[in-house]
Amino acid sequence: MLNALQMFLNKFINNIFNKKKHIKLGLYGPPNAGKTTLANRICQDWLGEDMGVASNVPHETREIQIKEQVNIKSGNKEISFNLVDTPGIATRIDYEDFLKVGIKEKEAKKRAKDATKGVIDSIKWLDEVDSVVVVLDSTKDPYSQVNITIIGNLVARDIPVLVVGNKVDLKRAKLKKVKAAFPQYEVIGISAKKGNNIDDFYETLFKVVK
Amino acid sequence: MPHQCVRCNTFYEDGAEEILKGCKCGAKLFFYIRKDRLKKVKEETVNLTEKEKKEIEKDVIGMVGGDMPKEKPIVLDLESIKIRKPGQYDLDLVKLFKGEPLIFKLEEGKYVIDIPESFKKLKK
Repeated sequence: MLNALQMFLNKFINNIFNKKKHIKLGLYGPPNAGKTTLANRICQDWLGEDMGVASNVPHETREIQIKEQVNIKSGNKEISFNLVDTPGIATRIDYEDFLKVGIKEKEAKKRAKDATKGVIDSIKWLDEVDSVVVVLDSTKDPYSQVNITIIGNLVARDIPVLVVGNKVDLKRAKLKKVKAAFPQYEVIGISAKKGNNIDDFYETLFKVVK
Repeated sequence: MPHQCVRCNTFYEDGAEEILKGCKCGAKLFFYIRKDRLKKVKEETVNLTEKEKKEIEKDVIGMVGGDMPKEKPIVLDLESIKIRKPGQYDLDLVKLFKGEPLIFKLEEGKYVIDIPESFKKLKK
Protein backbone atom coordinates (compact mmCIF):
# COMPACT_ATOMS: atom_id res chain seq x y z
CA MET A 1 0.00 0.00 0.00
CA LEU A 2 2.83 2.34 0.97
CA ASN A 3 4.65 1.39 -2.22
CA ALA A 4 1.61 2.13 -4.34
CA LEU A 5 1.25 5.51 -2.69
CA GLN A 6 4.90 6.27 -3.24
CA MET A 7 4.66 5.29 -6.92
CA PHE A 8 1.63 7.51 -7.34
CA LEU A 9 3.42 10.43 -5.72
CA ASN A 10 6.54 9.89 -7.85
CA LYS A 11 4.46 9.84 -11.00
CA PHE A 12 2.58 12.94 -9.91
CA ILE A 13 5.79 14.83 -9.15
CA ASN A 14 7.38 13.67 -12.40
CA ASN A 15 4.38 14.89 -14.35
CA ILE A 16 4.63 18.32 -12.82
CA PHE A 17 8.36 18.87 -12.84
CA ASN A 18 9.70 16.64 -15.55
CA LYS A 19 8.95 18.40 -18.78
CA LYS A 20 11.36 16.20 -20.71
CA LYS A 21 9.65 14.40 -23.56
CA HIS A 22 9.86 10.62 -23.77
CA ILE A 23 8.89 9.13 -27.08
CA LYS A 24 9.33 6.02 -29.16
CA LEU A 25 11.14 6.95 -32.34
CA GLY A 26 11.04 4.45 -35.20
CA LEU A 27 13.50 4.28 -38.08
CA TYR A 28 11.70 3.02 -41.18
CA GLY A 29 12.60 2.62 -44.83
CA PRO A 30 13.51 0.26 -47.64
CA PRO A 31 16.38 -2.23 -47.23
CA ASN A 32 19.92 -0.84 -47.39
CA ALA A 33 18.90 2.80 -47.03
CA GLY A 34 21.07 3.16 -43.92
CA LYS A 35 18.63 2.80 -41.01
CA THR A 36 21.08 0.88 -38.84
CA THR A 37 23.96 3.17 -39.83
CA LEU A 38 21.86 6.13 -38.68
CA ALA A 39 20.83 4.28 -35.50
CA ASN A 40 24.51 3.62 -34.82
CA ARG A 41 25.36 7.26 -35.50
CA ILE A 42 22.69 8.44 -33.03
CA CYS A 43 23.77 5.92 -30.38
CA GLN A 44 27.45 6.76 -30.85
CA ASP A 45 26.74 10.50 -30.58
CA TRP A 46 24.65 10.26 -27.42
CA LEU A 47 25.52 6.97 -25.74
CA GLY A 48 28.99 6.24 -27.09
CA GLU A 49 28.06 2.76 -28.32
CA ASP A 50 26.71 1.03 -31.44
CA MET A 51 23.17 -0.26 -31.80
CA GLY A 52 23.43 -2.98 -34.44
CA VAL A 53 25.44 -4.40 -37.32
CA ALA A 54 25.21 -2.53 -40.62
CA SER A 55 26.32 -4.13 -43.90
CA ASN A 56 26.05 -3.80 -47.66
CA VAL A 57 23.92 -6.92 -47.89
CA PRO A 58 20.19 -6.06 -47.96
CA HIS A 59 18.08 -7.26 -45.01
CA GLU A 60 20.98 -7.30 -42.56
CA THR A 61 18.54 -6.22 -39.83
CA ARG A 62 15.80 -8.84 -39.66
CA GLU A 63 14.52 -8.23 -36.16
CA ILE A 64 13.31 -5.08 -34.45
CA GLN A 65 16.13 -3.55 -32.40
CA ILE A 66 15.39 -1.23 -29.50
CA LYS A 67 17.75 1.05 -27.64
CA GLU A 68 16.15 2.49 -24.55
CA GLN A 69 16.69 5.86 -22.97
CA VAL A 70 18.58 7.78 -25.63
CA ASN A 71 18.72 11.47 -24.64
CA ILE A 72 19.47 14.02 -27.30
CA LYS A 73 19.96 17.73 -26.78
CA SER A 74 19.71 20.68 -29.09
CA GLY A 75 20.22 24.11 -27.53
CA ASN A 76 18.40 24.05 -24.20
CA LYS A 77 15.90 21.41 -25.32
CA GLU A 78 16.17 17.73 -24.60
CA ILE A 79 14.27 14.67 -25.79
CA SER A 80 14.48 11.28 -24.25
CA PHE A 81 13.44 8.42 -26.47
CA ASN A 82 13.53 4.74 -27.17
CA LEU A 83 15.10 4.25 -30.56
CA VAL A 84 13.50 1.51 -32.66
CA ASP A 85 15.49 0.26 -35.64
CA THR A 86 13.32 -1.80 -37.99
CA PRO A 87 13.99 -4.33 -40.75
CA GLY A 88 13.80 -2.87 -44.26
CA ILE A 89 10.39 -2.90 -45.91
CA ALA A 90 10.24 -4.53 -49.35
CA THR A 91 7.61 -5.82 -51.76
CA ARG A 92 9.71 -8.74 -52.93
CA ILE A 93 12.28 -10.80 -51.08
CA ASP A 94 14.21 -13.37 -53.07
CA TYR A 95 16.85 -15.69 -51.68
CA GLU A 96 18.61 -15.63 -55.06
CA ASP A 97 19.66 -12.03 -54.34
CA PHE A 98 21.58 -13.32 -51.34
CA LEU A 99 23.26 -16.06 -53.39
CA LYS A 100 24.78 -13.29 -55.52
CA VAL A 101 26.68 -11.94 -52.52
CA GLY A 102 28.10 -15.33 -51.64
CA ILE A 103 25.58 -16.59 -49.06
CA LYS A 104 24.92 -20.35 -49.30
CA GLU A 105 21.48 -21.52 -50.48
CA LYS A 106 20.20 -22.84 -47.16
CA GLU A 107 21.26 -19.72 -45.29
CA ALA A 108 19.90 -17.51 -48.12
CA LYS A 109 16.46 -19.13 -47.86
CA LYS A 110 16.45 -18.69 -44.11
CA ARG A 111 17.51 -15.08 -44.52
CA ALA A 112 14.62 -14.52 -46.97
CA LYS A 113 12.15 -16.09 -44.53
CA ASP A 114 13.44 -14.02 -41.61
CA ALA A 115 13.44 -10.85 -43.72
CA THR A 116 9.79 -11.47 -44.67
CA LYS A 117 8.87 -11.87 -41.03
CA GLY A 118 10.90 -8.72 -40.36
CA VAL A 119 8.73 -6.72 -42.77
CA ILE A 120 5.57 -7.95 -41.03
CA ASP A 121 7.03 -7.04 -37.62
CA SER A 122 8.12 -3.59 -38.81
CA ILE A 123 4.60 -2.84 -39.97
CA LYS A 124 3.07 -4.16 -36.73
CA TRP A 125 5.44 -1.94 -34.75
CA LEU A 126 3.92 1.16 -36.32
CA ASP A 127 1.20 0.82 -33.67
CA GLU A 128 3.86 1.31 -31.01
CA VAL A 129 5.90 4.26 -32.28
CA ASP A 130 5.14 7.95 -31.68
CA SER A 131 7.31 9.51 -34.39
CA VAL A 132 9.09 8.12 -37.41
CA VAL A 133 12.26 8.94 -39.31
CA VAL A 134 11.92 7.54 -42.83
CA VAL A 135 15.42 6.78 -44.09
CA LEU A 136 15.75 6.81 -47.89
CA ASP A 137 18.77 6.23 -50.08
CA SER A 138 19.15 9.52 -51.97
CA THR A 139 21.07 7.79 -54.77
CA LYS A 140 17.93 5.83 -55.66
CA ASP A 141 14.61 6.76 -57.25
CA PRO A 142 12.40 8.05 -54.42
CA TYR A 143 9.16 7.24 -56.26
CA SER A 144 9.04 3.59 -55.27
CA GLN A 145 6.02 1.69 -54.06
CA VAL A 146 7.73 1.01 -50.73
CA ASN A 147 8.56 4.67 -50.02
CA ILE A 148 5.16 5.95 -51.02
CA THR A 149 3.30 3.24 -49.10
CA ILE A 150 5.31 3.83 -45.92
CA ILE A 151 4.94 7.61 -45.95
CA GLY A 152 1.29 7.48 -47.01
CA ASN A 153 0.46 5.17 -44.12
CA LEU A 154 2.30 7.26 -41.56
CA VAL A 155 0.29 10.28 -42.60
CA ALA A 156 -2.96 8.31 -42.46
CA ARG A 157 -2.07 7.30 -38.89
CA ASP A 158 -1.18 10.86 -37.96
CA ILE A 159 2.38 9.92 -37.00
CA PRO A 160 4.88 12.80 -37.30
CA VAL A 161 7.40 12.06 -40.07
CA LEU A 162 10.89 13.28 -40.81
CA VAL A 163 12.23 12.13 -44.19
CA VAL A 164 15.98 11.64 -44.35
CA GLY A 165 17.79 11.45 -47.69
CA ASN A 166 20.82 9.42 -46.69
CA LYS A 167 24.13 8.86 -48.48
CA VAL A 168 24.50 12.49 -49.64
CA ASP A 169 28.27 12.00 -49.53
CA LEU A 170 28.00 9.88 -52.68
CA LYS A 171 28.32 11.67 -56.03
CA ARG A 172 25.22 10.10 -57.51
CA ALA A 173 23.03 11.31 -54.61
CA LYS A 174 20.08 13.41 -55.76
CA LEU A 175 18.61 15.04 -52.69
CA LYS A 176 16.57 17.47 -54.78
CA LYS A 177 14.70 14.56 -56.27
CA VAL A 178 13.85 13.25 -52.79
CA LYS A 179 12.65 16.72 -51.75
CA ALA A 180 10.59 17.03 -54.93
CA ALA A 181 8.98 13.63 -54.27
CA PHE A 182 7.84 14.55 -50.75
CA PRO A 183 7.31 18.33 -50.83
CA GLN A 184 4.88 18.35 -47.89
CA TYR A 185 7.42 16.87 -45.45
CA GLU A 186 10.60 17.97 -43.76
CA VAL A 187 13.34 16.36 -45.85
CA ILE A 188 16.89 16.51 -44.62
CA GLY A 189 19.98 15.28 -46.46
CA ILE A 190 22.61 13.50 -44.38
CA SER A 191 25.37 10.97 -44.55
CA ALA A 192 24.86 8.69 -41.57
CA LYS A 193 28.16 6.99 -42.36
CA LYS A 194 30.31 10.13 -42.64
CA GLY A 195 28.30 12.30 -40.25
CA ASN A 196 27.46 15.04 -42.79
CA ASN A 197 24.70 17.39 -41.66
CA ILE A 198 23.93 15.39 -38.52
CA ASP A 199 23.47 18.51 -36.36
CA ASP A 200 20.78 19.76 -38.76
CA PHE A 201 19.17 16.36 -38.52
CA TYR A 202 18.94 16.61 -34.71
CA GLU A 203 17.57 20.16 -34.89
CA THR A 204 14.93 19.14 -37.42
CA LEU A 205 14.04 16.09 -35.33
CA PHE A 206 13.14 18.41 -32.45
CA LYS A 207 10.79 20.35 -34.72
CA VAL A 208 9.09 17.22 -36.02
CA VAL A 209 8.54 15.32 -32.78
CA LYS A 210 7.16 18.28 -30.80
CA MET B 1 -15.75 -17.88 -61.02
CA PRO B 2 -14.12 -21.20 -60.28
CA HIS B 3 -13.16 -22.53 -56.89
CA GLN B 4 -10.46 -25.13 -56.55
CA CYS B 5 -10.15 -27.77 -53.89
CA VAL B 6 -6.91 -27.47 -51.99
CA ARG B 7 -6.32 -31.18 -51.60
CA CYS B 8 -7.27 -32.69 -54.96
CA ASN B 9 -7.23 -29.57 -57.17
CA THR B 10 -10.75 -30.25 -58.57
CA PHE B 11 -12.47 -27.14 -59.93
CA TYR B 12 -16.04 -26.20 -59.03
CA GLU B 13 -18.19 -23.46 -60.52
CA ASP B 14 -19.92 -20.82 -58.40
CA GLY B 15 -22.78 -22.19 -56.30
CA ALA B 16 -21.65 -25.79 -56.56
CA GLU B 17 -22.92 -27.91 -53.68
CA GLU B 18 -19.41 -29.13 -52.90
CA ILE B 19 -18.28 -25.60 -52.01
CA LEU B 20 -20.80 -25.53 -49.16
CA LYS B 21 -20.54 -29.14 -48.06
CA GLY B 22 -16.93 -29.93 -48.81
CA CYS B 23 -15.20 -31.54 -51.76
CA LYS B 24 -15.85 -35.15 -52.75
CA CYS B 25 -12.33 -35.95 -51.54
CA GLY B 26 -13.29 -34.77 -48.04
CA ALA B 27 -11.33 -31.50 -47.98
CA LYS B 28 -13.12 -28.35 -46.94
CA LEU B 29 -10.67 -25.66 -47.98
CA PHE B 30 -11.13 -24.02 -51.36
CA PHE B 31 -9.61 -21.13 -53.10
CA TYR B 32 -11.19 -18.70 -55.44
CA ILE B 33 -9.55 -17.53 -58.64
CA ARG B 34 -10.39 -15.17 -61.44
CA LYS B 35 -10.88 -16.87 -64.81
CA ASP B 36 -8.20 -14.78 -66.49
CA ARG B 37 -5.69 -16.05 -63.97
CA LEU B 38 -6.74 -19.65 -64.24
CA LYS B 39 -4.28 -20.65 -66.94
CA LYS B 40 -1.36 -18.99 -65.16
CA VAL B 41 -2.44 -20.53 -61.88
CA LYS B 42 -2.34 -24.05 -63.27
CA GLU B 43 1.15 -23.47 -64.63
CA GLU B 44 2.40 -22.13 -61.31
CA THR B 45 1.01 -25.09 -59.39
CA VAL B 46 2.70 -27.57 -61.69
CA ASN B 47 6.06 -25.88 -61.30
CA LEU B 48 6.44 -26.67 -57.62
CA THR B 49 7.78 -30.03 -56.53
CA GLU B 50 6.33 -31.86 -53.52
CA LYS B 51 9.56 -31.18 -51.64
CA GLU B 52 9.27 -27.45 -52.38
CA LYS B 53 5.64 -27.40 -51.28
CA LYS B 54 6.55 -29.02 -47.98
CA GLU B 55 9.47 -26.65 -47.51
CA ILE B 56 7.20 -23.64 -48.08
CA GLU B 57 4.58 -24.95 -45.68
CA LYS B 58 7.18 -25.58 -42.99
CA ASP B 59 8.62 -22.07 -43.39
CA VAL B 60 5.26 -20.38 -43.09
CA ILE B 61 4.01 -22.44 -40.18
CA GLY B 62 7.31 -21.60 -38.48
CA MET B 63 6.63 -17.92 -39.11
CA VAL B 64 3.10 -17.82 -37.70
CA GLY B 65 3.48 -20.58 -35.14
CA GLY B 66 0.05 -22.07 -35.88
CA ASP B 67 -1.75 -24.92 -37.66
CA MET B 68 -3.52 -25.17 -40.98
CA PRO B 69 -7.28 -24.71 -40.67
CA LYS B 70 -8.93 -28.12 -40.83
CA GLU B 71 -12.61 -27.97 -40.01
CA LYS B 72 -14.76 -25.45 -41.85
CA PRO B 73 -14.65 -24.59 -45.55
CA ILE B 74 -12.80 -21.35 -46.13
CA VAL B 75 -12.79 -19.45 -49.41
CA LEU B 76 -10.18 -16.80 -49.91
CA ASP B 77 -9.42 -14.28 -52.57
CA LEU B 78 -6.89 -12.15 -50.79
CA GLU B 79 -3.45 -12.83 -49.61
CA SER B 80 -0.94 -10.52 -48.07
CA ILE B 81 2.09 -12.67 -48.76
CA LYS B 82 2.60 -14.90 -51.72
CA ILE B 83 5.37 -17.46 -51.84
CA ARG B 84 6.50 -18.29 -55.35
CA LYS B 85 9.17 -20.82 -54.35
CA PRO B 86 10.95 -21.59 -51.09
CA GLY B 87 12.81 -18.39 -50.18
CA GLN B 88 10.95 -16.17 -52.68
CA TYR B 89 8.30 -13.92 -51.21
CA ASP B 90 6.01 -11.25 -52.70
CA LEU B 91 4.54 -8.92 -50.10
CA ASP B 92 1.39 -6.87 -50.60
CA LEU B 93 2.35 -3.83 -48.54
CA VAL B 94 -1.00 -2.13 -48.96
CA LYS B 95 -2.79 -5.07 -47.34
CA LEU B 96 -0.15 -5.42 -44.63
CA PHE B 97 -0.34 -1.73 -43.72
CA LYS B 98 -4.13 -1.85 -43.70
CA GLY B 99 -3.87 -4.51 -41.02
CA GLU B 100 -5.81 -7.06 -43.03
CA PRO B 101 -5.50 -10.66 -41.79
CA LEU B 102 -2.08 -12.10 -42.40
CA ILE B 103 -2.59 -14.65 -45.14
CA PHE B 104 0.32 -16.54 -46.62
CA LYS B 105 -0.24 -18.09 -50.00
CA LEU B 106 1.79 -21.27 -50.13
CA GLU B 107 0.81 -22.18 -53.66
CA GLU B 108 -2.35 -21.74 -55.69
CA GLY B 109 -4.94 -23.29 -53.45
CA LYS B 110 -3.09 -23.43 -50.19
CA TYR B 111 -2.93 -20.73 -47.57
CA VAL B 112 -1.88 -20.22 -44.00
CA ILE B 113 -3.69 -17.61 -41.97
CA ASP B 114 -2.14 -16.12 -38.87
CA ILE B 115 -5.27 -16.60 -36.78
CA PRO B 116 -4.09 -15.22 -33.40
CA GLU B 117 -2.86 -12.10 -35.17
CA SER B 118 -6.13 -11.70 -37.07
CA PHE B 119 -8.13 -11.97 -33.84
CA LYS B 120 -5.96 -9.30 -32.22
CA LYS B 121 -6.84 -7.00 -35.10
CA LEU B 122 -10.56 -7.77 -34.74
CA LYS B 123 -10.48 -6.83 -31.05
CA LYS B 124 -9.14 -3.38 -31.95
